[in-house]
Amino acid sequence: MAASCRWRHRFKSFGCLHNPKRHLTSLYDYDIVVIGGGSGGLACSKEAAQLGKKVAVLDYVEPSAKGTKWGLGGTCVNVGCIPKKLMHQAALLGSAVKDGQKYGWKIPGPVSHDWVTMADRVQNHVKSLNWGHRVQLQDKKVKYLNMKGSLVDEHTVRGVTPKGKEMQLTARDIVIATGGRPKYPTHVPGAVEYGITSDDIFWLKQSPGKTLVVGASYVALECAGFLTGVGLDTTVMVRSIGLRGFDQQMAGLVTDYMEAYGTKFAWKCVPKKVEKLPSGTLQVTWTDMLSKRDECDTFDTVLWAVGRAPETQHLGLEKAGVQINQETGKIVVGPDEATSVPNIYAIGDISQGRPELTPTAIKAGKLLARRLARQASEFMNYDNVPTTVFTPLEYSCVGLSEQEAELRHGKDAIEVFHAFYKPLEFTVAERDASQCYIKVVCLRGGDQRILGMHFTGPNAGEVTQGFALGFQCGATYPHLLNTVGIHPTSAEELTKVHITKRSGLDATVTGC
Amino acid sequence: WAARGGGGVAPSSSAGLEPRPPFAPCASDGEGVATGTRRDFLGMGLLAQIGRALRSAFAPSPRRPVGRAMASDAPLRFDFLVVGGGSGGLAGARRAAELGASAAVVESHRLGGTCVNVGCVPKKVMWNAAVHAEYLHDHSDYGFEGASGQFSWQLLKRKRDAYVSRLNQTYQNNLDKAKIQTIRGHATFVAGPEPTVEVGGKKYTAPHILVATGGRPSVLTDLEVPGGLRGDLCWLFFLFVSFRRSVIVGAGYIAVEMAGILSTLGSRTSIILRQGVVLRNFDSYISNNCTKELLNAGVDLWKHTQVKSVRQQRGGLEVTLVTKDPDTREEERTSVVQDVDCLLWAIGREPNTSGLNIREMGVELDEKGHIVVDEFQNTTRKGIYAVGDVCGKALLTPVAIAAGRKLAHRLFEGKPDSRLDYSCIPTVVFSHPPIGTVGYTEEEATKKWGKDNLKIYKTSFSPMYHALTTRKTQCIMKLVCAGAEEKVVGLHMQGVGCDEMLQGFAVAIKMGATKADFDRTVAIHPTSSEELVTLR
Repeated sequence: MAASCRWRHRFKSFGCLHNPKRHLTSLYDYDIVVIGGGSGGLACSKEAAQLGKKVAVLDYVEPSAKGTKWGLGGTCVNVGCIPKKLMHQAALLGSAVKDGQKYGWKIPGPVSHDWVTMADRVQNHVKSLNWGHRVQLQDKKVKYLNMKGSLVDEHTVRGVTPKGKEMQLTARDIVIATGGRPKYPTHVPGAVEYGITSDDIFWLKQSPGKTLVVGASYVALECAGFLTGVGLDTTVMVRSIGLRGFDQQMAGLVTDYMEAYGTKFAWKCVPKKVEKLPSGTLQVTWTDMLSKRDECDTFDTVLWAVGRAPETQHLGLEKAGVQINQETGKIVVGPDEATSVPNIYAIGDISQGRPELTPTAIKAGKLLARRLARQASEFMNYDNVPTTVFTPLEYSCVGLSEQEAELRHGKDAIEVFHAFYKPLEFTVAERDASQCYIKVVCLRGGDQRILGMHFTGPNAGEVTQGFALGFQCGATYPHLLNTVGIHPTSAEELTKVHITKRSGLDATVTGC
Repeated sequence: WAARGGGGVAPSSSAGLEPRPPFAPCASDGEGVATGTRRDFLGMGLLAQIGRALRSAFAPSPRRPVGRAMASDAPLRFDFLVVGGGSGGLAGARRAAELGASAAVVESHRLGGTCVNVGCVPKKVMWNAAVHAEYLHDHSDYGFEGASGQFSWQLLKRKRDAYVSRLNQTYQNNLDKAKIQTIRGHATFVAGPEPTVEVGGKKYTAPHILVATGGRPSVLTDLEVPGGLRGDLCWLFFLFVSFRRSVIVGAGYIAVEMAGILSTLGSRTSIILRQGVVLRNFDSYISNNCTKELLNAGVDLWKHTQVKSVRQQRGGLEVTLVTKDPDTREEERTSVVQDVDCLLWAIGREPNTSGLNIREMGVELDEKGHIVVDEFQNTTRKGIYAVGDVCGKALLTPVAIAAGRKLAHRLFEGKPDSRLDYSCIPTVVFSHPPIGTVGYTEEEATKKWGKDNLKIYKTSFSPMYHALTTRKTQCIMKLVCAGAEEKVVGLHMQGVGCDEMLQGFAVAIKMGATKADFDRTVAIHPTSSEELVTLR
């Protein structure tokens, strides 16, 4: 800490921000100070440091309402992508036990799942990643400060240690990458008191037991999917539709599959209150919007997955004059990620209108670092962003949904090629494949440029990455057809898709 | 493994040993075939005899004696006559029928050819079973208790055969629906004013005849390896017992796939290879890594080794091997592997052209018997075309299918330029973990562009799936980029999920994607494939 105090003195003693002709670096403690050590912040700070910039990153995790804390790396590493994919893998292994028996494996006894074993291993892995990030920062000569950062003015950041100690750092450029946190429906009595969120689920010390997941975002469905998959009684409560913003036909397939594999759905229901019974279980009351009747049931855990909100209130944005979007609370940014204050930038989930995805934050962070280091001028392209929902039946897509394509181009101007296919691994396992589906949305005229690709099935994420590259290169429908398939894979079905929705013909794939 | 056509997919039948009539519809009684095979095999007892039986089964069938008098009537005419009901032939016939042609397919046995009956499909089913074996190792690491078990070959075999039979039936239905006549039997070209085919004493002709008879595994003669025993791949697909001790001869992808499956399913497995690594035609990054993964999985590799002789002993086969490493001055060593109950030759494939009488039609064959075709699948005889494995180029189902369809469009839709582009064909090897590769290897690219004009990007990492498992495999990836614009001309990878990853990249690489395009693509997190777009 002694060192940090010295910087403060330097700031005080130099304090001469008015001579732009002087070599700027010497004016500030750092070239770049990054607030937030998540995917975007870490990528940005490491890249900038590698390009010779003097960089500090401040990271501090405000404990969740339930008191859950974690280390460096942000949402993705600690309470997002990484633990959820590992638990998704566990769930897939759960169904693999059943499939394996069809493949000739005789498993004598009953198979059970121990949450603690899995969670311990997941948590250990996450902790190893936290450590890995620390080491990387050190290797790349990024100053890591376990402090909560906020703005003092356009060049000054105040850091507060977990113990309450304060310091100030100055920087030529400031990058805000503090991400977002799950929301609670504060209007529902008992919601905050008894409920948990995705910030807690991966760090539970014991099995959540019978769980109610409220919400139908991808977070909600992914959590419900792996909870079901490891054998827990799981219900999803949905107010309106599943996977808002995604192609709604695909969303339907995802939830149909989940229902077929044991996840219960309470459609068109809104929670009213949560009470704790003397036994310790939670009694949830909700309103069925169709029947207008109230219903209730008991659960061991209630998980709220009703959206995420940016943490902008305590960032001191107003002090530096950084504008936020009043509706969302997110920071308004331009195509160069700059906020309303030209030397302050915002990347990742905190910035308005950006996809809440790790890879976009990472890429935006790296590109920003290169621009700040005057090494490149390229801006982040937020179009063509592929994404995968790791529900029990994975769903991956890039480009427009069919509905969006219709809106933009008109129904007559688009052609939708589709196929219901059966992954080979489903056949011997005697699994129903009626939700394994491919949809390629193209322009109808010209060279039939592809507008969107959608795929549900095993390994959807692995399948789609390469197609996203093709999409980025401007792939057309003939490009797909002219590529030789890889047999027997699920991915090859994308190069064989030939039935149009318009034709009304049966889109079920038969034979090889 | 694209097609096994007119030559006959006679898995269980052979000249001397016929469990059922040759022309019986096959799809409905797949189980029957299996039972017949089993009984006969058990009855014969000695593996040596199995080998011999199979050798004749998979050799091109001898022309059947013509039962009835030679048809004096004029040959039956079609627009399009296809010899061989495998992947390429069926695809060509169906597309031709869609385009309005009257078509017929000649097939002596099960529809679907090599791919469906003794190739991709049963192979991948068994690979999936082996993947489950790997999962069972990992279950406890992911918190599952009680997930351990015994493997039943019989159960898998029954399920697999049932699935293959369903596919056979599907193919038959597809032909029937398309009003394509199925002609059962072996085809032989006969002389005439126009190319004519004789099947079971009847003659058929068409202005366009497509030969898509596929290929079969190569076998050695007694002179080459004394001992007379033959195993072959098709045999493995019809096996009915579990193997304790397997010896696989060969280092190609079939050897690698079979070794992976057998060893993962619990057989102690050895690979006998002439050189030092498997998959020598692949990028060296892959062939070295695959060799390493095989060793990690407990397969033992006999490098620089050949089979000298095979003897039947009481406990099984006794395989005598000769090892001579050319890089050392050591003497030749002779070793013996005892108690082998599965000896599998995977030393290459050869075309099903003998017995077709096709050379006599003026169709040129190369020295190995492959039909020589031009880029439009034309043979040297007008009106006769060939697609698939019988041509000896890119022995892959989708290649045969695409070539068959392109040909149909050229012949029956008046598209004179319709032909398959044989560049950038992606392939996957279902090893453990799987391999995906498309385009030039670094070695090939160096020859074509020169070392200075290439940039190679590589990565090696432990896939996230293994974060919780004690069993580990690596994922390796390599991009070969050529020229100043760094056009991606080759992609090679091995790792969990690489089988499903490759297809989309193949589309992009065929489109001419550059490294910059890869860099511009947003990753999908968390996947293994995202590593390909974040390579530095």
